[in-house]
Amino acid sequence: MPQVDDLTLEKELRDIIAKIVEIDPDKITLEASFVEDLGMDSMMALEILAAMEKKYKIQVPEEKLGKLKNLKETIKLTKEYL
Amino acid sequence: MLNTEQIKSLIPQRFPFLMLDRVTDIKEGEYVKAYKNVSIDEDHFRGHFPDNPVFPGALIAEAMAQSACVLLKVSIKDLKATQFYVTNIKIRFSKVVVPGDRLDILVKTVKMTRIGGIFETEASVNNEVVSKGEMTFACK
Repeated sequence: MPQVDDLTLEKELRDIIAKIVEIDPDKITLEASFVEDLGMDSMMALEILAAMEKKYKIQVPEEKLGKLKNLKETIKLTKEYL
Repeated sequence: MLNTEQIKSLIPQRFPFLMLDRVTDIKEGEYVKAYKNVSIDEDHFRGHFPDNPVFPGALIAEAMAQSACVLLKVSIKDLKATQFYVTNIKIRFSKVVVPGDRLDILVKTVKMTRIGGIFETEASVNNEVVSKGEMTFACK
């Protein structure tokens, strides 16, 4: 499993999310709600999950999709599987 | 191997929008191989294009999408969904497909869940890739 420090992880995940949601990375704060603030839908969440898995070579169960609520929670979820 | 009737039991598309003639190989959760024989009798060739029939890229994408639906239905046995909607698609088309071609489709799973899936897709004719990309589906 790749080692990645917290700041790098935050930046990389922010970039992944920005690309999929097609939004300026600066708008993705740690607390911004993916659905209410960024306009994300469930399929975008699935794409983010798949991108996380590919980037970090991890496997995240489907049931964890609901955890992708904001960047902070996404970082936490990723770290659980690193 | 799945024939047309077996394919119809898995996906909702019907003539003239059923884009698969056969499924030749399938590995649950991993990949599906299928094909469509492209015929000059198909109605879209009247306009796409007059005197220069080219199989529409949108229909190549549809054949890929239907293959992915078959893979989903075979892989998740108790999947209740009967409708599938493409929510994201990125496909590059590199060669034209014409009547008489056999369009071979290969779809590989990137991520598969009960709410939808992400798939890598590739279409080829005579073992030459004519288009490839990735698509995301929602199941309803």
